[in-house]
Amino acid sequence: MKLTQNVPMAGRRQVLKLLGAVGAVAGLASLGALPRAAEAATGLGVPKPDEKVEETIKRLFGNRTLQTAGDKMKVELPLIAENGAVVPVRIESNLPMEVNNYVKNVYIITDKNRRPLNARLSLTPEAGKLSLATNIRMGGTSDVRVIAEMSDGSLWQHKQEVKITVGGCGG
Amino acid sequence: MSQVRIRVPEKVKAGEVVTVRALVTHPMESMLHRDGKIVEKNYNFIHKVEASYNGKPVFEAETSQAVSQNPFFSFPVKVNEPGKVKVIFHDTEGKTYTGEADIKF
Repeated sequence: MKLTQNVPMAGRRQVLKLLGAVGAVAGLASLGALPRAAEAATGLGVPKPDEKVEETIKRLFGNRTLQTAGDKMKVELPLIAENGAVVPVRIESNLPMEVNNYVKNVYIITDKNRRPLNARLSLTPEAGKLSLATNIRMGGTSDVRVIAEMSDGSLWQHKQEVKITVGGCGG
Repeated sequence: MSQVRIRVPEKVKAGEVVTVRALVTHPMESMLHRDGKIVEKNYNFIHKVEASYNGKPVFEAETSQAVSQNPFFSFPVKVNEPGKVKVIFHDTEGKTYTGEADIKF
Protein backbone atom coordinates (compact mmCIF):
# COMPACT_ATOMS: atom_id res chain seq x y z
CA MET A 1 0.00 0.00 0.00
CA LYS A 2 2.53 2.57 1.11
CA LEU A 3 4.82 1.77 -1.74
CA THR A 4 2.05 2.45 -4.23
CA GLN A 5 1.10 5.74 -2.67
CA ASN A 6 4.56 7.20 -2.35
CA VAL A 7 6.36 5.99 -5.44
CA PRO A 8 5.37 7.63 -8.73
CA MET A 9 3.80 5.43 -11.41
CA ALA A 10 6.91 5.03 -13.55
CA GLY A 11 8.92 3.85 -10.56
CA ARG A 12 6.31 1.34 -9.62
CA ARG A 13 6.22 -0.05 -13.12
CA GLN A 14 9.96 -0.50 -13.17
CA VAL A 15 9.84 -2.27 -9.85
CA LEU A 16 7.09 -4.51 -11.15
CA LYS A 17 9.10 -5.29 -14.26
CA LEU A 18 12.17 -6.12 -12.20
CA LEU A 19 10.18 -8.29 -9.89
CA GLY A 20 8.34 -9.88 -12.76
CA ALA A 21 10.32 -13.08 -13.15
CA VAL A 22 11.09 -13.68 -9.49
CA GLY A 23 7.78 -12.34 -8.24
CA ALA A 24 5.79 -14.56 -10.56
CA VAL A 25 7.05 -17.69 -8.87
CA ALA A 26 7.12 -16.27 -5.37
CA GLY A 27 3.70 -14.70 -5.76
CA LEU A 28 2.12 -17.94 -6.78
CA ALA A 29 3.74 -19.81 -3.94
CA SER A 30 2.57 -17.30 -1.37
CA LEU A 31 -0.96 -17.54 -2.68
CA GLY A 32 -0.87 -21.28 -2.34
CA ALA A 33 -1.48 -21.81 -6.04
CA LEU A 34 -0.23 -24.80 -7.93
CA PRO A 35 3.56 -24.90 -7.85
CA ARG A 36 4.11 -24.97 -11.58
CA ALA A 37 7.11 -22.70 -11.91
CA ALA A 38 7.48 -22.94 -15.66
CA GLU A 39 3.87 -22.09 -16.20
CA ALA A 40 3.97 -19.19 -13.79
CA ALA A 41 6.66 -17.52 -15.85
CA THR A 42 4.57 -17.43 -19.01
CA GLY A 43 1.04 -17.88 -17.74
CA LEU A 44 -1.56 -15.32 -16.87
CA GLY A 45 -1.92 -16.51 -13.29
CA VAL A 46 0.02 -13.52 -12.03
CA PRO A 47 -1.03 -10.06 -13.12
CA LYS A 48 1.50 -8.62 -15.51
CA PRO A 49 2.72 -5.05 -15.60
CA ASP A 50 0.90 -2.79 -18.02
CA GLU A 51 2.08 -2.99 -21.59
CA LYS A 52 1.27 -1.66 -25.04
CA VAL A 53 -0.44 -3.88 -27.56
CA GLU A 54 2.61 -3.83 -29.87
CA GLU A 55 4.69 -5.27 -27.04
CA THR A 56 2.12 -7.96 -26.36
CA ILE A 57 2.08 -9.01 -29.98
CA LYS A 58 5.86 -8.99 -30.18
CA ARG A 59 6.09 -11.05 -27.00
CA LEU A 60 3.57 -13.61 -28.21
CA PHE A 61 4.37 -13.90 -31.89
CA GLY A 62 7.84 -12.44 -32.41
CA ASN A 63 8.27 -11.28 -35.99
CA ARG A 64 5.78 -13.65 -37.57
CA THR A 65 3.37 -12.00 -40.00
CA LEU A 66 -0.28 -11.63 -39.10
CA GLN A 67 -2.38 -12.56 -42.11
CA THR A 68 -5.85 -11.12 -42.46
CA ALA A 69 -8.32 -13.88 -41.76
CA GLY A 70 -11.12 -12.51 -43.96
CA ASP A 71 -13.55 -15.32 -44.77
CA LYS A 72 -11.52 -17.95 -42.96
CA MET A 73 -12.70 -16.85 -39.55
CA LYS A 74 -15.99 -15.38 -38.51
CA VAL A 75 -15.91 -13.33 -35.32
CA GLU A 76 -19.07 -12.03 -33.74
CA LEU A 77 -18.52 -8.96 -31.62
CA PRO A 78 -20.96 -6.18 -30.84
CA LEU A 79 -20.45 -2.90 -32.71
CA ILE A 80 -21.49 -1.00 -29.62
CA ALA A 81 -21.37 -2.65 -26.22
CA GLU A 82 -23.27 -0.88 -23.47
CA ASN A 83 -21.24 -2.44 -20.72
CA GLY A 84 -17.51 -3.05 -21.02
CA ALA A 85 -17.65 -5.59 -18.20
CA VAL A 86 -19.37 -8.15 -20.39
CA VAL A 87 -18.55 -8.12 -24.08
CA PRO A 88 -19.54 -11.34 -25.81
CA VAL A 89 -17.13 -12.79 -28.35
CA ARG A 90 -17.98 -15.68 -30.63
CA ILE A 91 -15.49 -17.21 -33.00
CA GLU A 92 -16.41 -19.65 -35.75
CA SER A 93 -14.07 -20.84 -38.42
CA ASN A 94 -13.52 -23.33 -41.19
CA LEU A 95 -9.81 -23.47 -40.60
CA PRO A 96 -8.72 -27.12 -40.66
CA MET A 97 -8.79 -29.20 -37.47
CA GLU A 98 -6.85 -32.27 -38.51
CA VAL A 99 -4.26 -34.17 -36.55
CA ASN A 100 -1.33 -32.58 -38.37
CA ASN A 101 -2.82 -29.24 -39.15
CA TYR A 102 -5.09 -27.62 -36.61
CA VAL A 103 -5.81 -24.40 -34.80
CA LYS A 104 -3.64 -24.56 -31.74
CA ASN A 105 -4.36 -21.29 -29.98
CA VAL A 106 -6.80 -18.46 -30.28
CA TYR A 107 -5.72 -15.19 -28.68
CA ILE A 108 -8.19 -12.48 -27.77
CA ILE A 109 -6.48 -9.11 -27.50
CA THR A 110 -8.04 -5.76 -26.66
CA ASP A 111 -5.70 -3.08 -27.97
CA LYS A 112 -6.38 -0.39 -25.40
CA ASN A 113 -6.71 -2.47 -22.26
CA ARG A 114 -3.89 -1.88 -19.82
CA ARG A 115 -2.91 -5.52 -20.27
CA PRO A 116 -4.09 -6.22 -23.77
CA LEU A 117 -4.15 -10.02 -23.67
CA ASN A 118 -7.62 -11.03 -22.51
CA ALA A 119 -7.33 -14.75 -22.94
CA ARG A 120 -5.60 -17.52 -24.77
CA LEU A 121 -7.86 -20.37 -25.77
CA SER A 122 -6.20 -23.60 -26.87
CA LEU A 123 -7.71 -26.48 -28.75
CA THR A 124 -6.59 -29.98 -29.67
CA PRO A 125 -7.53 -31.90 -32.83
CA GLU A 126 -10.09 -33.74 -30.66
CA ALA A 127 -12.21 -30.61 -30.80
CA GLY A 128 -13.07 -31.21 -34.46
CA LYS A 129 -13.94 -27.64 -35.37
CA LEU A 130 -13.10 -24.12 -34.32
CA SER A 131 -16.10 -22.75 -32.50
CA LEU A 132 -15.49 -20.79 -29.33
CA ALA A 133 -17.28 -18.19 -27.26
CA THR A 134 -16.59 -16.27 -24.10
CA ASN A 135 -17.16 -12.89 -22.48
CA ILE A 136 -14.40 -10.36 -22.12
CA ARG A 137 -13.90 -7.12 -20.23
CA MET A 138 -12.95 -3.94 -22.03
CA GLY A 139 -11.73 -0.74 -20.42
CA GLY A 140 -13.12 1.44 -23.20
CA THR A 141 -13.67 1.77 -26.91
CA SER A 142 -10.92 -0.15 -28.63
CA ASP A 143 -9.97 -2.45 -31.44
CA VAL A 144 -10.31 -6.11 -30.54
CA ARG A 145 -8.12 -8.63 -32.28
CA VAL A 146 -8.78 -12.32 -32.50
CA ILE A 147 -5.68 -14.16 -33.65
CA ALA A 148 -5.74 -17.84 -34.54
CA GLU A 149 -2.42 -19.64 -34.39
CA MET A 150 -2.16 -22.81 -36.48
CA SER A 151 -0.06 -25.77 -35.42
CA ASP A 152 2.45 -24.89 -38.19
CA GLY A 153 2.87 -21.40 -36.74
CA SER A 154 0.90 -19.35 -39.26
CA LEU A 155 -1.30 -16.64 -37.83
CA TRP A 156 -4.70 -15.37 -38.91
CA GLN A 157 -6.02 -12.14 -37.52
CA HIS A 158 -9.44 -10.59 -37.32
CA LYS A 159 -9.60 -7.01 -36.10
CA GLN A 160 -12.69 -5.03 -35.27
CA GLU A 161 -13.55 -1.94 -33.29
CA VAL A 162 -15.97 -2.21 -30.40
CA LYS A 163 -17.46 0.97 -28.96
CA ILE A 164 -17.99 0.94 -25.22
CA THR A 165 -20.40 3.20 -23.39
CA VAL A 166 -19.35 2.18 -19.86
CA GLY A 167 -15.85 0.85 -19.15
CA GLY A 168 -15.52 -2.49 -17.46
CA CYS A 169 -12.03 -2.80 -16.06
CA GLY A 170 -12.82 -1.14 -12.76
CA GLY A 171 -11.63 2.31 -13.85
CA MET B 1 -19.38 -20.86 -2.95
CA SER B 2 -18.60 -21.30 -6.49
CA GLN B 3 -20.53 -23.39 -8.87
CA VAL B 4 -19.83 -24.88 -12.22
CA ARG B 5 -22.59 -25.38 -14.72
CA ILE B 6 -22.08 -27.30 -17.94
CA ARG B 7 -24.54 -27.56 -20.77
CA VAL B 8 -24.34 -30.13 -23.54
CA PRO B 9 -26.84 -30.92 -26.28
CA GLU B 10 -29.38 -33.58 -25.36
CA LYS B 11 -29.29 -35.62 -28.53
CA VAL B 12 -26.01 -36.31 -30.23
CA LYS B 13 -25.03 -38.37 -33.25
CA ALA B 14 -21.72 -40.21 -33.52
CA GLY B 15 -19.04 -38.16 -35.26
CA GLU B 16 -20.83 -34.90 -34.63
CA VAL B 17 -19.11 -31.80 -33.31
CA VAL B 18 -21.04 -30.56 -30.31
CA THR B 19 -20.71 -27.27 -28.49
CA VAL B 20 -20.21 -27.49 -24.75
CA ARG B 21 -20.98 -24.44 -22.64
CA ALA B 22 -19.30 -24.18 -19.27
CA LEU B 23 -19.90 -21.48 -16.70
CA VAL B 24 -18.44 -20.91 -13.27
CA THR B 25 -19.68 -18.52 -10.64
CA HIS B 26 -16.61 -16.51 -9.76
CA PRO B 27 -16.04 -12.83 -9.01
CA MET B 28 -12.89 -12.53 -11.19
CA GLU B 29 -11.59 -9.78 -8.95
CA SER B 30 -8.93 -7.67 -10.54
CA MET B 31 -5.84 -6.50 -8.76
CA LEU B 32 -6.82 -2.99 -7.88
CA HIS B 33 -10.19 -3.07 -6.24
CA ARG B 34 -11.86 -4.92 -3.48
CA ASP B 35 -14.84 -3.47 -1.65
CA GLY B 36 -14.30 -0.24 -3.53
CA LYS B 37 -10.85 0.32 -2.07
CA ILE B 38 -7.62 0.13 -3.97
CA VAL B 39 -5.58 -2.74 -2.66
CA GLU B 40 -2.38 -4.27 -3.82
CA LYS B 41 -1.98 -8.00 -4.39
CA ASN B 42 -5.54 -8.65 -3.54
CA TYR B 43 -6.83 -10.30 -6.61
CA ASN B 44 -8.53 -13.54 -7.34
CA PHE B 45 -9.47 -14.64 -10.79
CA ILE B 46 -9.71 -17.77 -12.87
CA HIS B 47 -6.43 -18.08 -14.72
CA LYS B 48 -6.71 -21.50 -16.22
CA VAL B 49 -9.46 -23.67 -17.60
CA GLU B 50 -8.98 -27.26 -18.66
CA ALA B 51 -11.56 -29.39 -20.40
CA SER B 52 -11.33 -33.04 -21.32
CA TYR B 53 -13.59 -35.57 -22.97
CA ASN B 54 -13.21 -39.15 -21.77
CA GLY B 55 -9.87 -38.15 -20.30
CA LYS B 56 -8.49 -36.66 -23.52
CA PRO B 57 -7.82 -32.93 -23.37
CA VAL B 58 -9.91 -30.95 -25.86
CA PHE B 59 -9.77 -27.38 -24.69
CA GLU B 60 -7.62 -25.25 -22.47
CA ALA B 61 -7.73 -21.57 -21.70
CA GLU B 62 -5.42 -19.15 -19.99
CA THR B 63 -7.35 -16.16 -18.90
CA SER B 64 -6.51 -12.79 -17.38
CA GLN B 65 -8.60 -10.41 -15.32
CA ALA B 66 -9.96 -9.11 -18.59
CA VAL B 67 -12.49 -11.92 -18.74
CA SER B 68 -15.91 -11.13 -17.38
CA GLN B 69 -17.24 -11.97 -13.96
CA ASN B 70 -18.79 -15.44 -13.83
CA PRO B 71 -16.73 -16.48 -16.83
CA PHE B 72 -18.34 -18.55 -19.50
CA PHE B 73 -16.69 -20.52 -22.27
CA SER B 74 -18.11 -22.50 -25.08
CA PHE B 75 -15.94 -24.92 -26.97
CA PRO B 76 -16.32 -27.71 -29.53
CA VAL B 77 -15.92 -31.42 -28.91
CA LYS B 78 -16.02 -34.09 -31.58
CA VAL B 79 -17.89 -37.05 -30.14
CA ASN B 80 -17.40 -40.54 -31.50
CA GLU B 81 -18.64 -42.38 -28.44
CA PRO B 82 -20.73 -41.48 -25.40
CA GLY B 83 -18.73 -40.11 -22.55
CA LYS B 84 -18.09 -37.50 -19.99
CA VAL B 85 -17.00 -33.91 -20.37
CA LYS B 86 -14.98 -32.67 -17.45
CA VAL B 87 -14.10 -29.02 -16.98
CA ILE B 88 -11.72 -27.77 -14.31
CA PHE B 89 -11.34 -24.10 -13.45
CA HIS B 90 -8.28 -22.96 -11.50
CA ASP B 91 -8.20 -19.62 -9.70
CA THR B 92 -5.22 -17.66 -8.46
CA GLU B 93 -5.92 -18.55 -4.84
CA GLY B 94 -5.26 -22.17 -5.75
CA LYS B 95 -8.85 -23.30 -5.59
CA THR B 96 -10.26 -25.52 -8.29
CA TYR B 97 -13.83 -25.84 -9.43
CA THR B 98 -14.80 -28.97 -11.29
CA GLY B 99 -17.86 -29.78 -13.31
CA GLU B 100 -18.90 -32.83 -15.27
CA ALA B 101 -21.56 -33.58 -17.83
CA ASP B 102 -22.53 -36.74 -19.68
CA ILE B 103 -22.92 -36.83 -23.42
CA LYS B 104 -25.46 -39.45 -24.38
CA PHE B 105 -26.45 -40.76 -27.75
